[in-house]
Amino acid sequence: MFQNQREGLALALPAAIFTAALFLLPVGILLSEAFKVDGSWSLQGYIDFASKPLNQVVFLRTLKLGFLVALVSAVIGYACAFCIVNLDGKHRGRVFGLIVLPLMISPVARTYAWIVILGRTGIVNDAIVGLGLSETPIRLLFTETAVFLGLLQLFMPLMIISLVSAMENLPKDAVPAARVLGAKWLQVFTRVILPLTKDGLVLGGTLVFTGSLTAYITPAILGGSKVLMLETLLYQRVNVANDFVSAGIIATILIVMSFGANILLKRISSARS
Amino acid sequence: MTSTWTSRIIIGLTLTFLIGPFFIIIAAGLSAGDFLAFPPEGLTLKWYIKVFEVESFRDSFALSMFLAVFGTIAALMLGVPAAYALSRYKIPYGETIKTVVAAPIIVPGIIVGLALLRYLVVPLSFTITLALFLAHTALVLPYAVRVVSSSLNNLRSDMEEAAVLLGCSRIGAFFRVVLPNIQSGVLAAFILGFVTSFNQVPVSLFLSGPGVRTLPIDMLSYMEITYDPSVAALSALLAFMSVVIVFVAEKFLGFSRYV
Repeated sequence: MFQNQREGLALALPAAIFTAALFLLPVGILLSEAFKVDGSWSLQGYIDFASKPLNQVVFLRTLKLGFLVALVSAVIGYACAFCIVNLDGKHRGRVFGLIVLPLMISPVARTYAWIVILGRTGIVNDAIVGLGLSETPIRLLFTETAVFLGLLQLFMPLMIISLVSAMENLPKDAVPAARVLGAKWLQVFTRVILPLTKDGLVLGGTLVFTGSLTAYITPAILGGSKVLMLETLLYQRVNVANDFVSAGIIATILIVMSFGANILLKRISSARS
Repeated sequence: MTSTWTSRIIIGLTLTFLIGPFFIIIAAGLSAGDFLAFPPEGLTLKWYIKVFEVESFRDSFALSMFLAVFGTIAALMLGVPAAYALSRYKIPYGETIKTVVAAPIIVPGIIVGLALLRYLVVPLSFTITLALFLAHTALVLPYAVRVVSSSLNNLRSDMEEAAVLLGCSRIGAFFRVVLPNIQSGVLAAFILGFVTSFNQVPVSLFLSGPGVRTLPIDMLSYMEITYDPSVAALSALLAFMSVVIVFVAEKFLGFSRYV
């Protein structure tokens, strides 16, 4: 540890000043804008925003999709992580690599696949028409289901990674021991696995939840203007209506939710130690 | 224990869901028809070739490359000293500085882009390219600091202290002792930054202007007007590029340790 404070500051400050000037300051002004009506401080903007039915629908839909994506990735993630941890070293590395890989690929590319799958001439519609379940293709794109599937595919790897690293710390014989002592699988899960991997679940859940709330590409491509989420609503308000007050309000909501989830995460993981 | 078969099926299904769509994109890009279709209607490479002929794709690819390479280099030039200071010096408000530098990760990109546009780019009349460059640098900076910090924390500090005691200057010790030891961390930070910046959409959404667009944004607007398989072909090529980068990085750096 070097003691020369001035030297340390000289090294650290450029990065901090750059971020503060280019990031904190503009974002701060944007957020404060939402609390002003005709130049004076007021919450009127929020009241007007909350009273519009469309905004309510979009807000609730964003929350709902965030929760659903986090929940379903947790369920699949536990099953998958449990299987991965029990693989031998070589296979584990490979499977883990394949799960991480999509995270490095352009989200536009990842989301575009769903257009091919769910579109009017996509595989699912071909199968539906081919099997005679429907005369004409059904609309699968621009539905909540499409957005849900896209988000799930986008963010599930984050949950699996968190759960795998949590489960690697699980004592190897904890599960067999519980089984030998007569616990059913459900009991093993709720009394042994869940409490010991809580941190991983919370971390994965936060990443998936905040990721889904703040995703832009997926709702834009798969939801369009029929299934707006907060981010796409923000974009629309600015681009179509030049409505910066709504934009500031949505920004505040998104930031409060992201920060809230992050603070909750720190609380829960520090409560243990 | 679960039987191997159940376990294989669960892993197989999950991987199909996560990776299967890429194979569908590759195939859809090969379709000979004029509209996006799967299974492909006949096979052709024309869409894969067309991608290179569309001028806006070429321009936006060049811009995205420029931003990803130079934005990440700029972020490393700010981030490496900051990471070094945060891990080796006792500095006043160290925690605050850490939080400030990490903040761009938590705030949604679309908000960053909008705020920059309204309160910095328009008032100071920056060019679009400069604005995008600054935004991408700010976006990558937290990753650079995080990855480099973790390699610095794994490096014992007594070596450089020894170098300084033996008469090396502090800067000399950094370049001769520290940097060679954290090389692969810096390279991993570069790759992570490059990929993050290249794939970035929300930050650039508002900042992109007429004729100056990053590749993902250009793809988004192209697919709004056209429904031919060229976006599928381009997506497949981009996915392939990422796979190669990650594979090489993993082989030579053990990249996954840093992510």
